[in-house]
Amino acid sequence: MLQTKDYSGIRAGINAYYFLEVYFLRGGMSVVAKLEPIWQELKALARTFFYTPEKNCLLCEKSSAEGEFCLDCLEEYFYPELPRCVNCGKLIPKEQIKCTDCQVGKGPRGLDKVIALGYYGGAWREFIQNVKYKAQPYQLKKISSFLGNFAISHLPPPHYLIPVPLHQERLAERGFNQAEEIASLLQWECGIPLYSPNPLQRLENTPSQVGLGREERLQNLKGTIGFLPGEAEKLKGAKVWLIDDITTTGATLEHCAYELKKIGVKKVFGLVLAAGLEKRK
Amino acid sequence: MHFNLLLDQSDKVHIIPSQGEIPEGDWEVLYPGIPFYIAQELLREIDNEYSWGSKRKKRNLFRRKKEAMEKSTIKRKILSNLKNHPSLSKFTWQWMSKKSLKETKEEEAEKVKIPTSMEEKEKIKVDFLRRTEGRVLTKGDLQRLGQESNLSYIEILKLCQEQVNEGKGEWLSGLERNRMGWRCQRCGETKVEEWISIYGRAATCPSCASLGSLSSLNTLYRSLNNQNKATNENNGVSRNNTSRNNTISRDDVVIRNKFNEVNTSFAKSKIIFSPRWELTPAQKKAAEEILSFVKSEEPQGQVNSLFEKGFQHKKGFQKEILLWAACGAGKTEVCFPAAAWALNNNQKVLFAAPRQDVVWDIAPRLEGDFPNLSLGVHTGTSPQRFTPSQFVVATTHQILRFYQAFDLIFLDEMDAFPYYGNKALAWGIEKALKDTGKIVYLTATPSPESLQKVKRGKMQLLTLPARHHGHPIPVPQWKKFTGNPDPRQGNAEKVIKNLLPRIEELGKAGPILLFVPQISWVNPWVQLLQEFLPQRSIEGSFSSDPNRREKIENLRKGSFQLFVCTSILERGVTFPRAQVIVLGADHEIFDERSLVQMAGRVGRSRECPTGTALFLAPKTTPAIK
Repeated sequence: MLQTKDYSGIRAGINAYYFLEVYFLRGGMSVVAKLEPIWQELKALARTFFYTPEKNCLLCEKSSAEGEFCLDCLEEYFYPELPRCVNCGKLIPKEQIKCTDCQVGKGPRGLDKVIALGYYGGAWREFIQNVKYKAQPYQLKKISSFLGNFAISHLPPPHYLIPVPLHQERLAERGFNQAEEIASLLQWECGIPLYSPNPLQRLENTPSQVGLGREERLQNLKGTIGFLPGEAEKLKGAKVWLIDDITTTGATLEHCAYELKKIGVKKVFGLVLAAGLEKRK
Repeated sequence: MHFNLLLDQSDKVHIIPSQGEIPEGDWEVLYPGIPFYIAQELLREIDNEYSWGSKRKKRNLFRRKKEAMEKSTIKRKILSNLKNHPSLSKFTWQWMSKKSLKETKEEEAEKVKIPTSMEEKEKIKVDFLRRTEGRVLTKGDLQRLGQESNLSYIEILKLCQEQVNEGKGEWLSGLERNRMGWRCQRCGETKVEEWISIYGRAATCPSCASLGSLSSLNTLYRSLNNQNKATNENNGVSRNNTSRNNTISRDDVVIRNKFNEVNTSFAKSKIIFSPRWELTPAQKKAAEEILSFVKSEEPQGQVNSLFEKGFQHKKGFQKEILLWAACGAGKTEVCFPAAAWALNNNQKVLFAAPRQDVVWDIAPRLEGDFPNLSLGVHTGTSPQRFTPSQFVVATTHQILRFYQAFDLIFLDEMDAFPYYGNKALAWGIEKALKDTGKIVYLTATPSPESLQKVKRGKMQLLTLPARHHGHPIPVPQWKKFTGNPDPRQGNAEKVIKNLLPRIEELGKAGPILLFVPQISWVNPWVQLLQEFLPQRSIEGSFSSDPNRREKIENLRKGSFQLFVCTSILERGVTFPRAQVIVLGADHEIFDERSLVQMAGRVGRSRECPTGTALFLAPKTTPAIK
């Protein structure tokens, strides 16, 4: 009987040599230099057995034992002890339920409750602007647990999360929709399904609303938000969280809520990262 | 900034900016626009598939000849590639012909003012070429450039695209991905933050964010200089073979000539170098050596390509020189003759320093010695960005905005904070330098790495031990000083009482620089000292202080008797009759090099060559010794 010789061992050896050559020698770097990053990783791994990693505050870069934010920043930007205006989400003095604007009736209509995580100013404002305009959406995931805890403790559980839409043109320029990023964080953190595809759509590219009053904003936004046809059935009678990054007068939220309520959504709760702060007079 | 794929008559695919104008001829354009790196990827995919046949044939040793593709197959192939792409499949893609495009674009076109006369057109183009020469520009930079030269953003894009078509400029995606991972195209950083965009994977470079954010969705415009292009063509390598259009019209030749004329006009009017000082013999010798180093040329001939890698040159030729001189030896002045020679030979010169204060210290000195020089000062806060100039003084970070722009670079204080240990900036220097360019490093306290480089023969070394007035550097004294100098810890008054006699003593000799280790100590100390010494004028500053420049200029005039600061004034600045006190010298941020530099602030001028430097600390550290 003829028996073919088994060359597999030799072949494996040759293959290994080629691998070495291709990955270490042809690249022009010495083997030691190539292994350097692996060595660094191993050292970092070994460190984790002996030390707990030091946490730094995301806003002021001081070391903080409390979590994402140090106590100073918590007090300065998030005011955990202050209530939020039921109508527009603004941070307000303790005894009140609504902010002065909403008491007069200037606030957004159609929303069941709105809450804001923090006050739009200082380092927190810079953080949000970095995320939006400096292409740093990866920063958001650092606040996911903080945001999740806050949202669950302040809002009733919903069926779906719906982010405020961004116009196609601006989305193409920026590469991401920050409201959708926040919503996907909450989906991950709290296990609430993110409604996909987004039923709300921007039909027109409105200019930035910075520096406009409430009436002008309402006028500006009229008819710019539409509803994706064919999604109405699923959303009928549902409770949703409407998610955005910043609110000032609540005009955008109001328009989105109006579109949602029109097709029969039962309750719309707004959740934003930042809003204004009303100081006690 | 977005780009479109464009298919021309000869079945070639180009990448053009969406907002630019539609070229002449029979084109078809793929809509909507996409970021540059995705357009590049699409092109690459098609190139791979069609130039080397199908995957099976790829294994063959004898590769097939490049197949000519038909228009329809290219279109179909691109569309099917897009369909299979996980994140690009959700867009609605379509090829639009020129006719349908023109209707939509006509409205936009009306807004753009078109210069009618030929002369005006030439003027604009020459101006644009001069401003962008040797630069790497982001979208924000291009917009600012538009503001400075009174052009709309769309016009600037048009000009850029013209350059790209001629092969004198190129588009780059902000970050590029290869087998090893992402790499920032501006600073060379490889540790970047990755995230998911609507186009799939994307990344942002965190390390050069101070120059404006840059992500892989952004695009950079980079101008290529003529010399570079010539060598490329000789070698038969085309940098951007997809978008090179070699037919250059006669108008362009005219413009190019005009541009060269303007550029050489620098050389025609000879730069006057009139030093207001005289060099000592030692300085003269050093200056001559630097001059001869700058003059030396690389020996001609082929470099063995097998061992040639990057910037390696022939044996015996050195591209770098290290000037090791004591503090206050007049390093800067030693460089001036060499700079003057280079300027008169129509070379571009850069003087880079690690800190703003050093830059603002050097710029007036240069202006004094080179009266008819167009000097460009680039720092993070300087308003002028794109004025063309032959001599540039810049902080090290601003260098990242240049590409193959300089023949000669002086790098001051190469061992100081932002430059030392920062791979990105070293990469930036290498990029800003022309292939034939040279670097002169200046330092008082060289790092061990650079000394090793000298040992290996990769760099020349020049030493200049004595100060220009011949007096030695004052030896700093260590005084035992108990008590915590932290102003927020209660016993600050006790500390001040210990400090006062010393201030009185030194104050007779001249203004005192009081160095503290932390920014947060500056203002409390200023307040405390003002309380205890009301008759003296006291001020303080730190790196993020908005009024920093004014304060330091006032200090230079001598209007403060006591100045509290962090290590910002540690290097490169000269104050007459200055005395130094270092508070908390045992703090960990003061290493040996910075302590030597701080002591070096004393007695720098000829009128007052002596002075005192005091290190106050409860115990000595190895650095103080």
